[in-house]
Amino acid sequence: MVMPRPLRWVVALLLAAGLLVGGVLLLPFADWLPGGTVADVPLQQVVNGSRFNRLFPRSNPELRVTMSQEKRGFSEARLKQGDQVIALLAISDTITAPEARAKFEQAEERLKGWPLVEQGPHASALLVADRFQVKVIEHGSSLDAAHRHGVLENFDLQGLAALGSSPLPRS
Amino acid sequence: MGTPVLSRLERLPRRGLTVLSLQGLSLLVPGGWSNITSAEALIESVIGSNDAALIAQVRARADQLSRARHEGYGRALSVYDAVNRSQHATAGLRVLAGVSAGVPLLKRIADLTPPGDTLQAVDLGLKVSAELLAFTQVNGLPGDSFADFAAALADYGSEARLRMAALVTFDGLLPLGDQALQRLDGLLGQASAIQLRQLPAYRRMAGLMPGRNDQAHLGFLRRGVEQWVGWADGLVSQLGLSGQRAVQALETTLGPWQGRMDQLAVFLDAFTDTYAHTGVQAVARRLVERAAAEI
Repeated sequence: MVMPRPLRWVVALLLAAGLLVGGVLLLPFADWLPGGTVADVPLQQVVNGSRFNRLFPRSNPELRVTMSQEKRGFSEARLKQGDQVIALLAISDTITAPEARAKFEQAEERLKGWPLVEQGPHASALLVADRFQVKVIEHGSSLDAAHRHGVLENFDLQGLAALGSSPLPRS
Repeated sequence: MGTPVLSRLERLPRRGLTVLSLQGLSLLVPGGWSNITSAEALIESVIGSNDAALIAQVRARADQLSRARHEGYGRALSVYDAVNRSQHATAGLRVLAGVSAGVPLLKRIADLTPPGDTLQAVDLGLKVSAELLAFTQVNGLPGDSFADFAAALADYGSEARLRMAALVTFDGLLPLGDQALQRLDGLLGQASAIQLRQLPAYRRMAGLMPGRNDQAHLGFLRRGVEQWVGWADGLVSQLGLSGQRAVQALETTLGPWQGRMDQLAVFLDAFTDTYAHTGVQAVARRLVERAAAEI
């Protein structure tokens, strides 16, 4: 069968367009598109939460520490007295949240040499090695600022600082 | 991955059958339940402060986290949605069968609908596994050992007590009777791949489950349920849950019910979204906790 030349062009273009549209819609390109990771920081650059786990304070007979979340760049535990949750404890890698580092620039207090800020009446945060944020968020009202600082001291801050030896790209 | 978690939270209904049935059931769960559908209220309850600037920061971070596809929040919600759709579909069929059984010409449809207990058990098993899968998508594998992970799960269970109570009563005690948990393993033992394939949610979840074929997935289902049953049994005896008490509690909000218990279960399955509703709330809480710690 012989098609007129313009019709051949039209058919060819339609086929090519169809392939392109089908490819974009059906093929698993999603992983290559931006937006797959938090703030588009590649996963390899973010410290995995599993490396934070052993740096949390140890449980003692009165206060129990139960791990509750472990993601890339984040690990969280609950501090419990009996069955009551009295605080959330967390370590996060601020590489995906540069704005979180900014609040420490005006920090007046220091704890074991690292800048310390209060965030509202119920949370204290510490920035270790200019990269890792350690935070204690009080649940209810049994942990005032002084107590929270005590809990922060019980983290293995030296071990945490050692994790930050991989260089942090400037944002 | 579509809508951020907190926007989904804000779109949850504030009234309607789903909320009423959860409120009814919450009479049996000490500590009760409040239907949180406002992102601001949720954030406030996590950080314990109503500082608008702080709340806005947490919100922005939470939206950023839930938009990142690798983080699994969207995947967890899509598992819940799949289970919800599947529940509506099978229950709808059963309602249709109940109606059509009275009409001679349509009796055929009644014969087509899957007979009760085994399918119901597989459905419950699928929901328990969905919960396990969604938990790992949202929380990862917390801790360094299996004991840590088990502790994290138990902790989550007591936080999401109403959600678990709803799962046990609406999908266990009401359709399968008060011995549901004891019968569950036996029923799952009788289940075959055919029954698994009858549940639309399975197709969505199959890719996320460990193992390559239906048999392996069925095994995963049974092991997941085995772990869960012990815990759920504790919840049942602690709260004193039973089909009869659940019906009474539901009657206080939904109005009197004349039919059988398994009919009530089909009705709830067909017309309420309790599983997805409380699921979105549970995911949103964990997401907000993380966002509050990261800002």
